[in-house]
Amino acid sequence: MNKLLIRCTPAVLGLLSSVAALAQDTTLTIRAIEGLKFDVPRFVVRPGTRVHLTVDNYDDMAHNFVLTMPGARLRVVNTALNLSDQAVKLNYVPRTPDVVAHTAVVEPGKAEKISFVVQQEGVYPYVCTYPGHGYVMYGALYVTRRPGSVPPLEKDPNIAANRSENGDAHAGHNQPAHPYEPTFPTLYRTFMPDCGPAGIAVGLPGNQSYCWDAGACRLRYAWSGGFVDMTDQWDGNGRKPTHVIGDVYFRDKAGFPIRFSNTIVEPQVKFKGYRLVNRYPEFRYIANGIEVRELIKPLEKGRGLVRQFSLGPVAGPVYFVCKPGDGVKYRPSVGKIEGGLMRLPTGTKQFTITMIAE
Amino acid sequence: MKKPPTASLSTRFGRLLPLVVAALFSLPSAASRHFPADTITDYYEVENIALPKGLTAETGGLDVLPDGRLVACFHRGEVMIYDPKSKAWKLFAEGLHDPLGLLAISPREMLVMQRPELTRLRDTNGDGVADDYQTVTDDFGLSGNYHEFAFGPIRDKQGNIFIALNTASNGAGIFPEVRGRLDTLGRPGRMYSCVPYRGWIMKLTPDGKLHPFASGFRSPNSIGFDAAGNLYAADNQGDWLGTSKLYHVQEGKHYGHPASLVWKEGFPDINPLTLPVRALDSLRTVESIAFPHSRIANSPTQPVLDETGGKFGPFAGKMLIGEMDHPYLIRLMLETVDGQMQGACAPFLAGTALRRGNNRLAFAPDGSLYVGQTDHGWAGARGIQRIRWKGKVPMEVADMKLTPTGFDLTFTQPLDPATASEVINFQFKRYYYEYHQAYGSKQFDLKPVPVTAVRLSADGKTASLTLAEMKPGYIYELEMGPIRSATNQKLMNRLVCYTLNRLKKGDRPSNP
Repeated sequence: MNKLLIRCTPAVLGLLSSVAALAQDTTLTIRAIEGLKFDVPRFVVRPGTRVHLTVDNYDDMAHNFVLTMPGARLRVVNTALNLSDQAVKLNYVPRTPDVVAHTAVVEPGKAEKISFVVQQEGVYPYVCTYPGHGYVMYGALYVTRRPGSVPPLEKDPNIAANRSENGDAHAGHNQPAHPYEPTFPTLYRTFMPDCGPAGIAVGLPGNQSYCWDAGACRLRYAWSGGFVDMTDQWDGNGRKPTHVIGDVYFRDKAGFPIRFSNTIVEPQVKFKGYRLVNRYPEFRYIANGIEVRELIKPLEKGRGLVRQFSLGPVAGPVYFVCKPGDGVKYRPSVGKIEGGLMRLPTGTKQFTITMIAE
Repeated sequence: MKKPPTASLSTRFGRLLPLVVAALFSLPSAASRHFPADTITDYYEVENIALPKGLTAETGGLDVLPDGRLVACFHRGEVMIYDPKSKAWKLFAEGLHDPLGLLAISPREMLVMQRPELTRLRDTNGDGVADDYQTVTDDFGLSGNYHEFAFGPIRDKQGNIFIALNTASNGAGIFPEVRGRLDTLGRPGRMYSCVPYRGWIMKLTPDGKLHPFASGFRSPNSIGFDAAGNLYAADNQGDWLGTSKLYHVQEGKHYGHPASLVWKEGFPDINPLTLPVRALDSLRTVESIAFPHSRIANSPTQPVLDETGGKFGPFAGKMLIGEMDHPYLIRLMLETVDGQMQGACAPFLAGTALRRGNNRLAFAPDGSLYVGQTDHGWAGARGIQRIRWKGKVPMEVADMKLTPTGFDLTFTQPLDPATASEVINFQFKRYYYEYHQAYGSKQFDLKPVPVTAVRLSADGKTASLTLAEMKPGYIYELEMGPIRSATNQKLMNRLVCYTLNRLKKGDRPSNP
C-alpha cells in the first residue's frame, strides 16, 4: 500500500479499507501539520490488521501520536496533563490500559515508526497528548468489518473540529465573514500572491479589484470578476495567502511608476498609510522626499482603473512610466506618452492616469 | 477566632498542635458558614461577553477607554468598540492584517499593531468610524513567513512605544520578495530571523524613530510594564527555550534565542547557530520567571499590571499574565534579588468559568478584568470574558520572597497555625530546564528539597520556610498541603514555582 493512497480524501478511505479486507499488513504515514492537526483525519482497517505507521512531524511544534481505547481520548489527555515531572520522560503518555500504542515525542522535522494490531472492532481515537494539544489534535481509527458503516467525514463525531471544517468547505461559506455587511469599496491588508509581504487587496464596486503593495508603494496587479477568498488566510495562523477571485488583466512590469530627474533609477519610497474617502483608500507615500497621494477608482465602463495622483512640491521634472505590454492602455490626463514615459507639465500638482484593459 | 500567638515551632512540636486545633474546628464555626463550599467562584465571577453575529472572535488585542468602553481587535482585521452599559458593539475599523495588539488613546484614536506595521487609526470626522490609517512605523522586515507576528504596542511614561517582533518558523518559507534587507545568515534554524529585527523588541521614540532595543526573543507574545515601569516580555517554549519564560527586558541585552543576533550591531557575519552553545549561553540574560511547562503554562501571553488599587482583589500592584492552554491566568510575584528581577508564578482563577486561550487582558476602570481569547490555529478558545472580584478575600499566596535560608510565603489571610506549621504541608522540589537548540527540555537534576522549619509571623500571614538546600539556577516548585486560613478558608491554589537565579545574600538568622 503506498503513501499516496493513504494521504487522500475521505471518499478514498473506504477503498483503503477494502484493500485491507484480508487483514494483511498495512503501511501508512500520518503527518502532524500546522494548526494542531493530523493530516489524515481518520482511517479504516479490518480487525487484526497490522498497521505500520510513520508519524512524520511537518509542524513547527513537537507532537506525539497516541492511539487510545474507544472513548478514552479525553481521559488519556487529562491523565497526561497530570504526569508532572514524569511527563517528559514518559513522552506525555500515561501508562494506562487506555493507551493502545504510541510514539515518543516527535520533534519538528523528525519522524517515528510504530506498528500495532487492533483485534476488536471499534472507533479508536488517536491524539497528540503533548500538553494542550489533545483537545484539538486528534483523529479516529475505525476498526471494522463493515467499512461502509463509517459515517461521512463531515458528520463524523469522532474527528477533530478543525478537520471536519476542512471536509465541508461549504459550511464555512455560509457563515458571514464579518459582523458587518461587506460594502465596496473595501480592503484587506493581507498576504497576496505575486506581491511583497505587505499586500493590500482592494475591492471596488463593479467587481473590479486591485492589489497594492505597501512595501514597494505601488499598484501590482488588477483583476475583474470578483474580489478575494480569505478562507485560507484566515485559517489558523495565517500561513496561506489570500486567493484572487477573477481574471487578472494588468500586471505591473515597470516598478515604481513615478520618476524624478533620473528616469532610470526608482526613487526611495516610504509608505505612510491611507485615508478613506467614501471608503476608497487614498494611499500616502513619500518618494525621494516628495509626498504622493494616490486614489484608485474603477473605470466607469469596462475593465480598467482610474488612478488619481496628487504631488507635493517638486523641483525638476516628473515622469510617469507607462510601459506597454502590462495588459493596459494608458490615458494620462496631462502630457503625452513618449517611449513609455509621460512627462508631467512643470508645476503639475494633480493628474490622472486611466488604465484600460487591452 | 483569636489570633494565634507568634509561633516558632520545631517540626516535632508542629505535629502535635494540629490535633488540638482540629478539635476546635470540629464544630461548624461562624466563619465556615460564611464559606460553605469555599471555591474560587465564591470570590470571582466570570461573565461571557455577548459578541455580535458574524464575528470570529479570535481576540488579538484589548484595551479599555477611560469611559469604560472596551476596544478589541480580531484576527480578521476588525477593530470594535463595546459599550458595557448597552452591551452594543460598534465597528471602528476593518481590513487590518492579523492585528495582535491595541492601545486605545481616545474614542477617536487608537494604535494597532498589525503584521506589517504599527498603525494609528483616527476618526477625523467624528462619525465613530476610523477614516485615517496612518503608518506610525514599518521600519522592520517582513519576509512573508506566517510566524512573523507583531506584538504590542505599549507606551511608557516618557511616551516611548514598545513593540515585539516574532521570529519566522521553518514550518514555512519566505516570499520571493521580502520587505527589508534579506540576510541568509539568519535563515537557518527552527525559528529564524532573515529580515531586520525579527526576534527583537523595538522602541519607538516620540520623534518617530524605531530603535532596536533588546534581542533574543522567539515568540514574544506579549509585553507589559510593572508598577515601577520595568518592561517584561513573555516567550514560548521551543527551540532554545526549555520552557516558557518571562524576561525583564533591558536595553541592549540579549535573551537567548540566537537567530536575532544577526541584526545586532557589531555581531560578526556568521550564522549564530555555528557558535557553541556555551558561547551563546554566555551572551544571554536569563529569564526572571520560568513557567514550568504544562505544570504552569504552555504558552504565556500578555503580562498586565493590576492597577486597580484593590478593586480586583488582594493582589493590587502585582502582575498577571494570560495563558493559552490552561483555563486560568497566572499571578506573578517578582522581586529584586542581588540587583536582578526574579520571582514566582502561580495559577490563578482555576475552577472559574474562564476558558482557555487567554491571549489578552485589560482592566476596566471599575477594576474588572476583560480577557480576550484566541486559538489562532493552536490550542485555545475564542471570545471575550469579564472577570469581577466579588469582594471577599480568597485564601491565596499573596507573595513569595526569597530569604537567605528559604522563602517567606505571605498569604492573603492569617494562617491556621496548625496546618501552616507542618513542614509536610510544604513540599519543594527543584530542577532546571537546559538551554539548548532542541525544542523544549526535560527537567534536569530533579530533587526534592525538604523544608526543615516553618515559622509564622506575628500577624499570622507569613510563613517563613527554611529549606535544606538553596541552589541558584533552579526552579523551586512548591506544592502545598491542605493549608487553611485562621478563619477556615481553604487555600485556593497550592502550586507556586519560584525561579531561583540568584541567592539572597545575608547571614542565616540565628535559630529562635
